[in-house]
Formats: sequence, structure tokens, C-alpha cells
Amino acid sequence: MALPGSLWRQPASRGLVSHCTHHHIVVFLLTFFSYSLLHASRKTFSNVKVSISSQWTPSCLNSTAPELRPYELWNSSHLFPNAEEATLFLGTLDTIFLFSYAMGLFVSGIVGDRLNLRWVLSFGMCSSALVVFFFGTLTEWLHFYNKWFYCCLWVVNGLLQSTGWPCVVAVMGNWFGKAGRGFVFGLWSACASVGNILGAFLASCVLKYGYEYAFLVTASVQFAGGVIVFFGLLTSPKEVGLPELGADEDGSVEEDANRPLMGNDDADDDDRNYSIQATDTDDQPKAIGFFQACCLPGVVLYSLAYACLKLVNYSFFFWLPFYLSNNFGWKEAEADQLSIWYDVGGIIGGTIQGLISDVLQKRAPVLAISLLFAVGSLFGYSRSPNSKPINAVIMAITGFFIGGPSNMISSAISADLGRQDLVKGSSEALATVTGIVDGTGSIGAAVGQYLVSLIQENLGWMWVFYFFILMTSSTVLFISPLIVREITLLLHERRLRMLAE
Amino acid sequence: ASGRCPCPGQGVALGLCWGRCWSGVPGTPRCPVCVRRDLTENPLTPLPNGSFLGFTRLQPLLPSAVPLALECPGGSGAWDEVTTLGSSRLCQGQRNPCNAWPCPENAACAPAGPGLVQCLCNSPFHGYKCLRQGTFPVLLFCGILGAVTLSLSLLLWGTQRRKAKIP
Repeated sequence: MALPGSLWRQPASRGLVSHCTHHHIVVFLLTFFSYSLLHASRKTFSNVKVSISSQWTPSCLNSTAPELRPYELWNSSHLFPNAEEATLFLGTLDTIFLFSYAMGLFVSGIVGDRLNLRWVLSFGMCSSALVVFFFGTLTEWLHFYNKWFYCCLWVVNGLLQSTGWPCVVAVMGNWFGKAGRGFVFGLWSACASVGNILGAFLASCVLKYGYEYAFLVTASVQFAGGVIVFFGLLTSPKEVGLPELGADEDGSVEEDANRPLMGNDDADDDDRNYSIQATDTDDQPKAIGFFQACCLPGVVLYSLAYACLKLVNYSFFFWLPFYLSNNFGWKEAEADQLSIWYDVGGIIGGTIQGLISDVLQKRAPVLAISLLFAVGSLFGYSRSPNSKPINAVIMAITGFFIGGPSNMISSAISADLGRQDLVKGSSEALATVTGIVDGTGSIGAAVGQYLVSLIQENLGWMWVFYFFILMTSSTVLFISPLIVREITLLLHERRLRMLAE
Repeated sequence: ASGRCPCPGQGVALGLCWGRCWSGVPGTPRCPVCVRRDLTENPLTPLPNGSFLGFTRLQPLLPSAVPLALECPGGSGAWDEVTTLGSSRLCQGQRNPCNAWPCPENAACAPAGPGLVQCLCNSPFHGYKCLRQGTFPVLLFCGILGAVTLSLSLLLWGTQRRKAKIP
């Protein structure tokens, strides 16, 4: 791929290199790993599903075979009569988690900046680590299995985990300004995938000791991360006397970099009334409210698109190991290790597509093309033969085309939307818009988890993939107005340039 | 050498009353080594299914004697040789029922009395359904994690937050 270096380095690297201190690096790494650890503990849950459903059910044999003895060893656990119902319940837990996570995001986005980001993030990580410990480890040690208790814990976990994303995005937004956003956020959004890999790795390492230790390890590491964040994170450059990012940085280069990404002149005309509304409340420095944020151009469309895409992306990371061990009969630990390739694809995809979109200074067309390829790769993956290397390759390709766009919408595009001209000077908008996009996405993902378990139960895995293909196509449909806008803008600009010459 | 004494490991079997316990070792009247379980004076007929699980603890492949009216424990198919001895039926040469018994992964079949089997975990495996293997190194894990957390916290506090103006 031939990248015209002069084109992308100008907006990206100038801000990066000239302002980068060791504080920036530490903040980047701390926020990166904070969110990674939060994601890791979620991934752990999906990676131990087979073990948990074994633990919750009596041994399943065909009705003709005599019962296994001794009873205590094989049949004493009766939370669910069979693995199918346990699977359904695990899917319900995913759904519950994602719904409460989505609700939490909408709230966290608004509340986030009004509290000390460091305390909120640290509190969220430590408390959610404790909940995970109760959920997975303590209940197993005490042999206390109760459906309602599990549900309650997972609701609380979703709410606590939702503090993570708005906080880390806001901290990143404080430190890394508009210059070089695409590149920094593109690289940084790999944190979710790194978290998946970390979670899968930790889980597969200790799963042989029992699933409770998989939870114990991820929860402990997450708790430790929360402690480190509390002692080490600087939430804003002004804490150490560095100049705040603001008006002085809004050079013409950055203006150019931002403008095409966030709608266009037509949209500005359409939405002038909103900016007037926003100025009404400009008395408070913190400004934008929930509904105003919703009305910003592109927010609703990207939110809906992300709802469809996150559905597919999350279904992959929640269900992939289960699918592999269920459909191909591979061992759970092997399936976990194999499912890492999806995230590897996602990281590479997010970074490369982020760079391309920086070069083009257009995000929607890159997304659309990637998603069209995603449809093809999903089709291919659904017909993957029972061979681990082939499966891994197709899985990585699928991750490249699905995880990549998903990362881009949730971080770089959210930042574009939250930092557009209409909300300039309102740092609050970033967290709120991030919350709206990610929250809508999480609702989609929540609905999806339930649908996936239902479809799988009634129609089989093949239909799950058809469902994924449908959802990916819907994503393209939702961003198509934005593509049309950006392309007409591109043509408009070119015409202007030709006229000027 | 006959006296009324319980064979070891039989007390748990559903209130079954064992008759004589024939010792094969002379000179040990109190706790003789069982050579046969005698059920001829057992009032329960038929013998409840599963009652022979009590045989699992010790010497599961022991011969048994039952009243003539009763089948051998586990059915005559569970024994090599069924003979009549006075008013009782003598069941000898208990077959090992494990030959074609499928146990789940990580478990192996073990005889559990006449016609009965159980599945026990293979050596490194333990826990419910034999899913677990080995012991988690709790101390090592806690030590490493604690040390890393402490040193990273100190390092970052020193380089980052020590200079911070806002608490």
C-alpha cells in the first residue's frame, strides 16, 4: 500500500511529535490498558462458557443409559437440567450485561466529566473487579448457584464497567487534541482487541484449574489496574502545568482535517438552529445536553450504524469460542486461543483503515468498502471447513473487515462527532457523544446476543451467519447517506479547486 | 468360623441386614476379613435396586449368598458362577462390569458392586465432572501481582502524580 507520506503526516504527526511528553505516553498506556483490562474480564466470561454450563448442569446422557455414579461427582448440580438451557441463560446474561452497560453509558457520558475522571475510572475498575470476583469465584467456592443472584451481579457489573469507556476517551481527548486524532485514536482503539486477547490468554492459561480461577485472575489484574490508575493517571495536562489543548491549537491544518469528517456545509445550514440552541446554554462552560448531542449531524446515523455493526462484532467475541467448540468439537482452551485471530484481524484492520481514512480525510467510504468485504468474509467463514489453520485465516480476515470499522466508529468517528465545529469549546460533548454512539451500539449488541442464542437454538449456526450478513448490510445502509454527503462534498471541493486554478 | 459381625463398609447400605460374615482368616474373630456377603437372613425382598452400592468401599467383587427366592445381586448376568448351597443361592465370580462401560472424559470406570459401575476421575483431574486439573498457585500469583502493582504504582506516582496540582 503506497501511502503518500506527505499527505498523512501533516495532520497526524505534527501534533504528535511536537507535543509528545512522557506524560502523553503514560496516559496513552494507562487508558489503553485500563480499557483492555475491562474488556479482558468480559472476554473471560465468554471464554469459560462451556466450563460454566458444565458446572451448572448434571451430566447429560441419553435417556437409555443408566445414571453416572457417584451422584456427587456427576449429577449433583441442578441449576439447569441440560446444557441447552444453560446456554440460553448465558446468552441472557450477555444480553443483561449489554443492556445495563448501554444504559450506564448514556448516564456515564453525561455524568463523566462532572466528577474527577481518575476517581471514577479507578472506582469503576476496582468495583467491577470485585463484582466479577463474586460472580465467578466466590459463588463457586461457596457452591452457591442462583440464577437471580447471577443476573443481579451482571447488571451491576454492566453499570460499573460503563464508567470505563467515557472516562478513558475523555482523558485521551484531554491529552491528545485534534491534531493527529485519527492516527492516535486508531492505534488506541486496539485496546478492546488487546483486552480480548489478554482475556482469552489469561482464561486459557488458568482454565484447567477451574473456571473460577479464570475469573479470579482477570478480576485481580483488573483490580490492580484500578489501583495503578488511581496512583498514576493524570487526567489533564493542566494537572502538571502543561498548556491545555484549546483554541491555540486550532490551526488551519486541523480545521481541514476535521471538516470533511463531520458532515458538510449543507449540514451546517440544516443544523444552524441547534448551534443556536447550544449558545443559549453557553452560560455554563460545560454546555451540551443529551438531546442536543443527539441532534448533532451524523450522530444518529452513526449510532444506528454502530448498533448493527457492534451487534455482529460483539456476537463474534461473545460466541466465537462457543461456536468453535460446539460446531467443530474443538476443546474450549484451543477454541479460545484460536478466537484470538479475530481480534488480531480487528487490530490490524482498525489501524490500517484508520490510516487510509486519515489520508483520504473521509471515513464513511472506507467503512462502506470494508463492510462490503465483511459480507463476503462472513459468507466464507460460515462455510469454513473443519480445519484450524484455514478457520484462523478466515477468522482474521473477518476480524479485519468487521472489527476494523467497529473500532473506527467507536473511537475516531465518535471523537470527530463530539469535536465538530458546532460544539467547539464544549469539552463535555465528547463524552456525551461517545456515550450516545457506544450506548446505542451496546443496545444493538444486547438485542443481538439474545437473537443469536435464539437463532442458534431454533435454526442452527448457519442462520446466525445469515443474520450477521443482514446486520452488516444494514450498517452500510445507515452510513450510505453519509457516503453520499462526503462524496458530493469531495466533488464540490474538487470543482472549487479547479475553478480557483 | 462364623459369628454375627458386620462386614466392613456395609453399614451404609439402606438398612440391609447382613447375616453372617464368614471369615477366611482364623484367629481374628472381631473383624474378620470378608470372603462372602451373606444375605440369606435379609428380610427385604426383593433387594432394593442400588443397595449394593454399599459394596463399593471395600472389596466390591466379593461373592454373595442370597436366599433361594432371590436373584443374585445385580442379576445372574453379573456373576460367573451361580450355585445352590442348601437354602441359599451362592453367587461367585463377580464379573467386572467395566469392560464396555463408557465413562466421560478424564474419568475411568471402576466396579461398584455386582452389576454396578462408577466413574472416577483419572489421576490429575478432580472436582465436579472431573473438569479441574492441578492446584492454582495462589501464593505465587498474589505475590507477583502484588509486587508488580506496588512497584508500578510507586513508579507512576513518582513520575506522574507527585507533581500534580489537583489532588
